[in-house]
Amino acid sequence: MKPMNGAGIISDRDILIAVTINILGVYTLSLPRILAEETTAADGWVGILLGGGVACILAWVVAKLTLLYPNKSFFSIASDLVTKPIAVILTFLFTLQYIAITSFQVREVSALAHQYLFDQTPLEVISLSFLLVVVYGVCGSRAGIFRLNALFLPFVLVGLLVVVVVPLVFIKTENLLPVFQTDFKGYVQSTYSSLNTFAGFGIILFYIALVKNPKNTPKMAVKGVIFNTILYTILYIVCIGTFGNSTTANIFFPTFDLSRTVEIPGGFFERFDAFLFLAWTIILFVHSLMAFDIAVMTLMMVFKKVKKIMLVITLTPLIFFISMIPKDYVELTHIARYISLIKLTSLLLVVVLLWSAYKIKGGKQSE
Amino acid sequence: MRRSLFTRVYKKSTDQQYESATQQSESEFNIPIGLTLKENVEIIKKKLGDPSDLIVRDITVGKNKHKCSILYLSGLADQKLVNDNILKMVQTEISQSDTNSNQSGTGQSEPNANPSEASQSEPNANPSEASQSEPNANPSGTGQSEPNANPSEANKNNPKSSQSGGTQSDPNLLETIEQHVIAITDTKKGQTLYEVINAILSGNAVFLLDGVNTVLVMGTTGYETRSIEEPQSEAVVRGPRTGFIENIDKNITLIRRELKDPNLRFDVHEVGRRSKQKVVVCSIAGIVNPDILNEVNRRIKTIDIDAAPDSGFVEQWIEDSFLSPIPQILDTERPDHVTYSVLQGKVAILVDGSPFALIAPVMLGEPLQSIEDYSQRWAIGTLLRLLRFLSIFISLFLPAIYVALTSYHPGMLPTKLAFSIAATREGVPFPSIFEALLMAVTFEILQEAGIRLPKAIGSTIGIVGGIVIGDVAVSAGIVSPAMVIITSLTAIASFTTPNYSLATGLRVLRFGLLAAASILGLYGIILVFIMMCIHIVNLKSMGVPFSSPIAPYFLGNLKNLLIRSPIITLKKRPPYLEPRDINKINDGGKSK
Repeated sequence: MKPMNGAGIISDRDILIAVTINILGVYTLSLPRILAEETTAADGWVGILLGGGVACILAWVVAKLTLLYPNKSFFSIASDLVTKPIAVILTFLFTLQYIAITSFQVREVSALAHQYLFDQTPLEVISLSFLLVVVYGVCGSRAGIFRLNALFLPFVLVGLLVVVVVPLVFIKTENLLPVFQTDFKGYVQSTYSSLNTFAGFGIILFYIALVKNPKNTPKMAVKGVIFNTILYTILYIVCIGTFGNSTTANIFFPTFDLSRTVEIPGGFFERFDAFLFLAWTIILFVHSLMAFDIAVMTLMMVFKKVKKIMLVITLTPLIFFISMIPKDYVELTHIARYISLIKLTSLLLVVVLLWSAYKIKGGKQSE
Repeated sequence: MRRSLFTRVYKKSTDQQYESATQQSESEFNIPIGLTLKENVEIIKKKLGDPSDLIVRDITVGKNKHKCSILYLSGLADQKLVNDNILKMVQTEISQSDTNSNQSGTGQSEPNANPSEASQSEPNANPSEASQSEPNANPSGTGQSEPNANPSEANKNNPKSSQSGGTQSDPNLLETIEQHVIAITDTKKGQTLYEVINAILSGNAVFLLDGVNTVLVMGTTGYETRSIEEPQSEAVVRGPRTGFIENIDKNITLIRRELKDPNLRFDVHEVGRRSKQKVVVCSIAGIVNPDILNEVNRRIKTIDIDAAPDSGFVEQWIEDSFLSPIPQILDTERPDHVTYSVLQGKVAILVDGSPFALIAPVMLGEPLQSIEDYSQRWAIGTLLRLLRFLSIFISLFLPAIYVALTSYHPGMLPTKLAFSIAATREGVPFPSIFEALLMAVTFEILQEAGIRLPKAIGSTIGIVGGIVIGDVAVSAGIVSPAMVIITSLTAIASFTTPNYSLATGLRVLRFGLLAAASILGLYGIILVFIMMCIHIVNLKSMGVPFSSPIAPYFLGNLKNLLIRSPIITLKKRPPYLEPRDINKINDGGKSK
């Protein structure tokens, strides 16, 4: 058994998979709605591409930054560059952020299940059962989480493929027109929104320390972002082409509704969405699992002597209560925006702070 | 982490226990063999409780009529071997040496065997020789307490031996007998009572010579064993019909017969404090990853039990997680399966008394593979593998999905199907979860009864199960016909799993899924599925991740897991085992 935050337990291919799934987990379900609100017709793809481009650069920078100190945890890097108190504050910032993300995911799953699977079962039961499974996952080994990613990847890819490919026949070209009618502000907003989605690559800040041979990891992280950019672009165009801009803007989970248009020939199952629900649950699950794990990991960086299981037990009720705070879907959407704002700002803050500190110190300490 | 902590503490304590225990039992028996024949035989008899099947044959050897005894347990040793190759040879030796001594006076055989001492020191040097020869024997034998005890013994002995006329140097006589008389290849020497008694209990014959504190142990083990038959639990249509039997030496032979590789290695262990069973770890040096081999050997050394009636005991002792319903070590009755696995870079464990060999490490998809897949052509092999994946899905999920769909999501079924199912459930008084549990439990009972019943009345179960439970239960309106279909399909699908241990493990999970489906419908099934996946990725087999090669994934190896690609494309050994030599000899026929 390797030490808890021991280096070298994963390969850089695992980072690629983790980044891909993690970005997918954030707002894939609701992204078309957000973009459709901000842009006209199918112009949101411009925002996705721009956002993806910025995210690529950011991911590369973050990866490079962590690689200055190979196989060292975020906390030790930060306390090396900026002083220890600031490092503690930064680490706590991420802890809070990932706790919030986990809560949000838990709530989102229950919202999804509530809307599409059963409307009578209480939200609390759905959330709690989901959260307990997440806890079970976090209690396992960290390498196990990455193995889980790899194990789930086929499900996710097949699910997404079905979602993207099958509705192609329903696309109406008039939904996609006219082109480039959005004003400048719309583009900026949509870029910002899609950048929020791509901020899921933030996990590399913490997970790169575990990579066995981290030379190619920045490339892998960027590849993950690029893959998602392409996927989102296609997904958005298919979504708008199928539903039209105004319908998309009014569906809470447009991507999921897209999968409901899928009909299986042969008529054995009336609705196929139950099986796509599996793919979506898995995506959301893996995302919240990693978020929870990072929350625990960041806490363990600061409190070195506390046992993992104790932290998990303490955090679980906290996350559950936070996830129950939003009253309805509207509040959930608002909270989602705040979370992504915090997420992006903290990421930028850390990158800028650490880079400048590194430059001021002249990079001598890393040698 | 919590698991590892637990097992680590657990193993450490057992290590200590084991050490102290073995020390104890060895010190109890760790008495050196004395010089007096009669006393030695008496001690052995006493230690064994004077059993009726202990054969003690007293004879004399050599021209000096030296006293000696042959001891063995009648049922365990091959009596013909003892009679023809030991007893008869020793007896003829007497007559031969008699004639020899008549012809040449002093005896020819002795000067050959005793280069310096024999002829010269015969008459006068007895006391001095005894004192000389003993220090030689001591360091190898027992320790320091002896020199104090020995002189007195030697003093006691020497008069006796001189009385009986044994004027020869005794250790050399034993040497001569071993070299020239005994017609058995497997001989060794024992110094302590512990060794001797163990040898007797293992079926060996023991040759004791008066005035010598060394004992000749001869491998005469030979008892009735079952003949080699077709394996019961893993039947194949095409492939060898040999199966392991309960005798470990025969099983080793079965493996050796298939692999004439000089690198084939068998590491021998002894397991069971009372049963003293032989456990053999089989591997091929140069292929197997030494880390895995060492880990297996280390874990087997920690085993501390009275006896292991079956290899299952060893399996449960050395497996990584005893809480898991999934077996992390494969069991097989087929020598060809063992040779195939060993060639892959795995390790096989044979336990004396069990016809089931263990194979480790084992991965997620491997219990679903039959060795026959490789005997068949690749297309059908591939199809069968996919079919097994499908049937394992059915056997796990079908009852749960039925319950979830009928009780939570009837809208997901096509309208007509939903109506027809609803119509058949019309008169059924129970909710579908109860119905499913009823049928599932009934099936488990039937299956268990079918195994325990004598074969002659086994068919009764088929009639009772098939007609009474299936037909009558439906016409009585207790269960719906759809449920009977689901149950029987599940049952049949579960029988396609080639490995019985996995099939039984999955039976447990099926009930878990049923419970989840009855509480949370499809969502519950998905959550349990995720939990199963979490469990699997955290599971290890001998330290190798159980979910390999899917996660961490090795794309090249999937062609031997999901499908069975043509033999000529299977060029590599599984990379997750990190074998010493990753390339098989098979290079697709390119090296012509």
